[in-house]
Amino acid sequence: MSRQAFLNRLREGLRDMPAGAADDIIADYEAHFVEGEAAGRTEAEVAAALGDPGRLARELKAEAGLKQWEAQRNPTAAASAVFAVLGLGAIDVLILLPILLPIGGTLFGLAIVGVVLFGVGGFLFAIGPFIGAGSEIAAVMLAGLGVMAGGSSLGALTALATIGFVNALVWYGRLHMRLLKPALEPTEARS
Amino acid sequence: MPEAVQVQLKRGVLELCVLALLSKADAYAYDIASRLAAGIDMGEGTIYPLMRRMQTDGLVTTYLVESPAGPPRKYYKLTQTGQTSFIAQKAEWHAFSMAVDDILGGAK
Repeated sequence: MSRQAFLNRLREGLRDMPAGAADDIIADYEAHFVEGEAAGRTEAEVAAALGDPGRLARELKAEAGLKQWEAQRNPTAAASAVFAVLGLGAIDVLILLPILLPIGGTLFGLAIVGVVLFGVGGFLFAIGPFIGAGSEIAAVMLAGLGVMAGGSSLGALTALATIGFVNALVWYGRLHMRLLKPALEPTEARS
Repeated sequence: MPEAVQVQLKRGVLELCVLALLSKADAYAYDIASRLAAGIDMGEGTIYPLMRRMQTDGLVTTYLVESPAGPPRKYYKLTQTGQTSFIAQKAEWHAFSMAVDDILGGAK
């Protein structure tokens, strides 16, 4: 593989990373080719020793996604961590999918139920004064508050469960990064 | 040796090897990669994800030095954290490899 082909495949693999981060990584590998040629190796030799650019891109992206999740626990970071792990394309991740999807779906459903309960409670609280009379008003308003509280605690529990779920996935993903793989699969790396 | 065992073994010591090289002298990635490739037969490309991770973990910092080969070289230097981590990991490695040697020595 030529230097240009290697760098193009790497760039292609890193295309959904922030431009600055991808450029930094590509600059590292470009410098590696320059050094290699200065040391008297051909482009093809350097490319072969570097390994498969697609695999490297997947691991670099996965690492960046996992780091982002560790730095900030928000929905965007969670999504990128999950996609990063799936992006590793390890076969056992695919086998896990039938387990992951129902868990993810259940969490998503619980979050929606929490939001809906919160809305219904707020609505009851707001319309309380307009329906019924006397003690009924207080009862409806209190019931509304109760439902809102239920909604928020369900939301909070769901958030905790989601964080735990993503953490477990990140741990699993780390086990599957095989940084040394190219060196041990010479036929694949050198094709 | 089965391939999976070899992968796991090498991955475990790769960071320790990089820390050891850098504790002797600052170095640029190509230099680290070729010394490790010669010594423990690893893919040269794997050095970059590793260096990036060690940098985000605060074990190394970088600085640029003009190079005769072309663009400036990015040198890696151990931080205080990196130095501490190296000493701790080295001690763990010695304890572990001595224990394994003991067991292997006793087996025929």
